[in-house]
Amino acid sequence: MALFLAYDVANNPLNTNEWAFPVCEVLHILGFAIGIGTITMVNIRLLGLGLKKESPADLWKGTFPWTLGGLALVLITGPLIFSSDPTMYLRNEGFRFKITMLVLALIYHYTIYRKVALTKTSGGVAVMAGLISLVLWVSVVFGGIFIAFV
Amino acid sequence: MPPEIVQWFQDMSIATAIRESALVFPVILSLHLTGMGLFGGMILMTDLRMLGITLTKHPVSDIVNGLRPWKHLGLTLTATCGILLLWSKAAIYYPNPYLRIKLMLFALIIIHAIVFRGVYRNVADLDRATVIPGRAKLAAVLSIVLWISVVTAGRWIGYWEPKGAPVNAAQVIN
Repeated sequence: MALFLAYDVANNPLNTNEWAFPVCEVLHILGFAIGIGTITMVNIRLLGLGLKKESPADLWKGTFPWTLGGLALVLITGPLIFSSDPTMYLRNEGFRFKITMLVLALIYHYTIYRKVALTKTSGGVAVMAGLISLVLWVSVVFGGIFIAFV
Repeated sequence: MPPEIVQWFQDMSIATAIRESALVFPVILSLHLTGMGLFGGMILMTDLRMLGITLTKHPVSDIVNGLRPWKHLGLTLTATCGILLLWSKAAIYYPNPYLRIKLMLFALIIIHAIVFRGVYRNVADLDRATVIPGRAKLAAVLSIVLWISVVTAGRWIGYWEPKGAPVNAAQVIN
């Protein structure tokens, strides 16, 4: 608690170093491109739109480390960006929406979605699982951009 | 390009509508980023497959050919939104050196596609190859470097300010 009270954003390297903030943002974008891009590969397969030579389970397994790596990069750089101005972010509607969608997306991805991708599920369930995933992740991206506009 | 022409582009009614709307500009920007999210990872997966690093259980041609239409779709979405964003603030973006760097990187990406077209056209050859040829590996590495540079230059566009004249609130580029 004492540590928290002593925190002064003005001393945060993200606010004092000209490069730190944009570098974090670039890594954040690269992280979500890798994370969401690989999730989309599994989605395309679940929706029955392409990559039909591969099974959803094989695609999940093949992309798994990269999805995790991309999401890890996002979850490291995100809190760093947040630390540059916590009070602003906590009040920001875009940020609140984004974090809600992110938590839902992460839980969904590693529970229900994982199960659907790894088991031989029929068309309707697979399509539903893919659509929910797509909507959740796109919402996270929209929430992130709207932080700067609300 | 004469500044008048850039200003004329920016002053067109569609550009003005995008720029001045509280909703349209951020929605297009979000779609620009969504497009990146949807296909950026696929570019990396294609390149890493060609390098023999990931998805090694699947033939190279399955991954490269299977992802191609989706990468094109994502690129179309990202590029369309990017052009609309650029158009809406043409005069503001025009002197920005990072925009110019980004456009030059796109020129390099086109050159990359021309130089290595043989690699991508005959990608099925890689399925049978015991060792992936150096030319294919070079194509993959350069692709990763170029696309990461594009993202970096793109983000830096928002941090540059013209010297002397302070940027007013309406011109802040996010």
